Amino acid sequence: MSEAAITVHNLYRFFGPLQAVNGISFEIPHGSVCGFVGANGAGKTTTMRILASLDYPTMGHAEICGINVIHHPAEVRRLIGWMPDHFGNYDNMTVLEYLDFYARALGYKGAERRQRIDEVMDFTDLVPLADRFSNKLSKGMTQRLCLGRSLLHDPQVLIMDEPAAGLDPKARVELKHLIRVLAKEGKTIFISSHILSELGEMCDSLLFVNNGRIVHHGDSESLKRTSDSLGGVLYDVQLDGDPQALSDWAILQPNIELLESRKTGGRIRIDTEDPARAADVLSRMVRDNLRVIDFHREQRNLEDAFIDMLTNIENDQNQPVRPPPPVPTQSEPPPQKAPNEP
Amino acid sequence: MLVKELRQGLRARSFIGVFLALQIILGVILLSASAAATSDQAGSTISNIIFTFFSIAVLVVQPMRGITTLSSEIKDNTIDMMVMTRLSAWRIVTGKWSAIVSQSALILITIVPYLILRYFFGGMNLLGEIVMLALIFITSSALTAITVGLSASGSVFLRSIVPMFSLPVGSYILLMFLMFGFGRGSSLADFCALDSDASRITISIYIASCLYIGFFFLAAGTSLIAPYAENHSTLRRLIALGVTCITVVLCSIYVTDPDFLPYFLALVLAPAFALSLTEFGPLVPPTYRKFSRFGMIGKIGGLFLFPGWPSGVFFCSLLTLVAAIPYYFVTSSYGYSTDENIIIALGCLGTLLFPALIINLFKMKGPARVSNYILLGAASCILALVLLGVAESMSNPGFLWLFVWLPPVALAMLETRIDDQEIFAAILIVDVVLFAALQVMALRNFLASIRENQQSLSSEAPVEPTNP
Repeated sequence: MSEAAITVHNLYRFFGPLQAVNGISFEIPHGSVCGFVGANGAGKTTTMRILASLDYPTMGHAEICGINVIHHPAEVRRLIGWMPDHFGNYDNMTVLEYLDFYARALGYKGAERRQRIDEVMDFTDLVPLADRFSNKLSKGMTQRLCLGRSLLHDPQVLIMDEPAAGLDPKARVELKHLIRVLAKEGKTIFISSHILSELGEMCDSLLFVNNGRIVHHGDSESLKRTSDSLGGVLYDVQLDGDPQALSDWAILQPNIELLESRKTGGRIRIDTEDPARAADVLSRMVRDNLRVIDFHREQRNLEDAFIDMLTNIENDQNQPVRPPPPVPTQSEPPPQKAPNEP
Repeated sequence: MLVKELRQGLRARSFIGVFLALQIILGVILLSASAAATSDQAGSTISNIIFTFFSIAVLVVQPMRGITTLSSEIKDNTIDMMVMTRLSAWRIVTGKWSAIVSQSALILITIVPYLILRYFFGGMNLLGEIVMLALIFITSSALTAITVGLSASGSVFLRSIVPMFSLPVGSYILLMFLMFGFGRGSSLADFCALDSDASRITISIYIASCLYIGFFFLAAGTSLIAPYAENHSTLRRLIALGVTCITVVLCSIYVTDPDFLPYFLALVLAPAFALSLTEFGPLVPPTYRKFSRFGMIGKIGGLFLFPGWPSGVFFCSLLTLVAAIPYYFVTSSYGYSTDENIIIALGCLGTLLFPALIINLFKMKGPARVSNYILLGAASCILALVLLGVAESMSNPGFLWLFVWLPPVALAMLETRIDDQEIFAAILIVDVVLFAALQVMALRNFLASIRENQQSLSSEAPVEPTNP
């Protein structure tokens, strides 16, 4: 019994000389939302296609809910919903007919089929569009239709490749809302996107991939937090009143350094990441009659964090970043090499 | 699949346009003919016009609609969404094919009233015209299978220009070849009346050829879109082997003229060779596991029936051995000199093997293997014809010896004064070299893939679905 919904171990996929996926390993627990982030050509789509049993790895091992995608692709397909990064819609086919076709293709019959179609149309708010031709839909509507299609068989795992690409802000908010609802229902969602701020909001964890390798796997908050090389942490402080009071106060404090004065306060550096120290600093400010109206740890946005990470990797090419070791499972199979293609 | 395709197809402008145009044209013609009903020729003229327009609709327009069926699904990425369902690749391809054929059937049904009206004009060979109508429909189905199958190819040239020019010509040549081969030159409508053995045999062979060729092109399309884990090769090869065996038995018993042998066998073997030698998917553990359950028998069967080109080479060797049987019977029974026929057979065999060697030497991958195989085969035949033309214009047939390594050149050499024995020796050597090279390459790849599958299966941990 695997505790992870998605397990990838030492996965490789080569296209001739191109190493699209280069030995990546990770696990995503059941019921979590994981963002998959990387530049174009980093290996995101290839990894997702392998997980969806649409492509075949050169070497390695991947499982969905404990089922090997290479050995049991048909079983895996029943467990996953797949949204590709780009797709066309059919000519001369209404939204209802489109869903009806896929429901039939998934093996639903009679009343059960109608019920499943009604449920996904209701969930994705497609009911008013039921008789609209699917190739006349806007991009946002098309994405909702594709999401509805991928939910027809009520999959446990949803793999979404760039679902927000090309959407206007309103459609993006709608999609984000739907993903949140699905996450609350306990579905495992593996989603790739270029819009990192939105991924940060809806994902429990983020996987950063670069040149086919995992360069980070963790929650978005840990990426946003900033600390310098000596372990110091930066805080923004805003005062009600004379900002000079902050610099006067900081000079007298041990282990606190004022980095920058501003109109309403300044940036200070505390020499440790310990949150208790931050609380202590704040209480001292109040005790010393500084009228603090805002005190928060400085955070980077995810785009900056991602760019910083890529820059560090480029600067540190002699010390390649190794992927984090996978969490050992009870019966971990050795990596397997796929048969050669001609 | 059929429901979806029919929903789309019947609303498509191309179908509605053809359907309405046919009705309007036939309606106008019948009205005009009614006005001029005194003419003795009115009946046959109306027949000709009905068959001409019906043929254009179902032999040209309808098959051409198949050209984009799978390519548009691949381009739009919707093929991935379909294979994620329970639809197998075969059902996707046949669903698309049957939707177009159903629309052709609808067109066929709508011209029946015009044929009934035409009956009253007199001079109608009823059975002949009905059989001809059925043959046109069967030809349309086969041509549609060819375009639907080729539509999965990545090559725009192969899936559009080749069918557009070669299909109508090819089907006409096949029918004429069979008709004049057996019927010795009667008119088509009379020939279709099934009133002689020649007519019945020819039409039976023609229908069987259409079914076989249609099946193989649909199978080709299936292979091009199927996920690696779906094995469509084994059944296809078993069908090819069965059809080859039946053809061999029928040829050994019934064929009196050895001139026909190479052509019949080439017709049967060419599709099987083209697909078996170009299969690009790796042998994957789910497929290997099914064979390995049968122990030694499974392993021996796998040598010929595993998906992938390496076992395809062994399978083609087996087919070649089976296809060689009737030569023994024909030559021993009729005492007929078959040197030229054997050269033609060996030339055809080499023509089928040569493109396979090229695509494997250059390690071509993916669906491009199939299109490159067909294009290389066609190019080598055209080149042989050009070389023959050059040799004749120079009055120097010996010039062709420079290109004897190209198998179709041996066929071209038969048209010159070069001694048959010399051509026979040359093409035999070329075929042996081609076969040997392919066998060596295939054996190396085959053993590697078996080893990797054995390792993969031995390392597989027991799995069962988990409920979160």
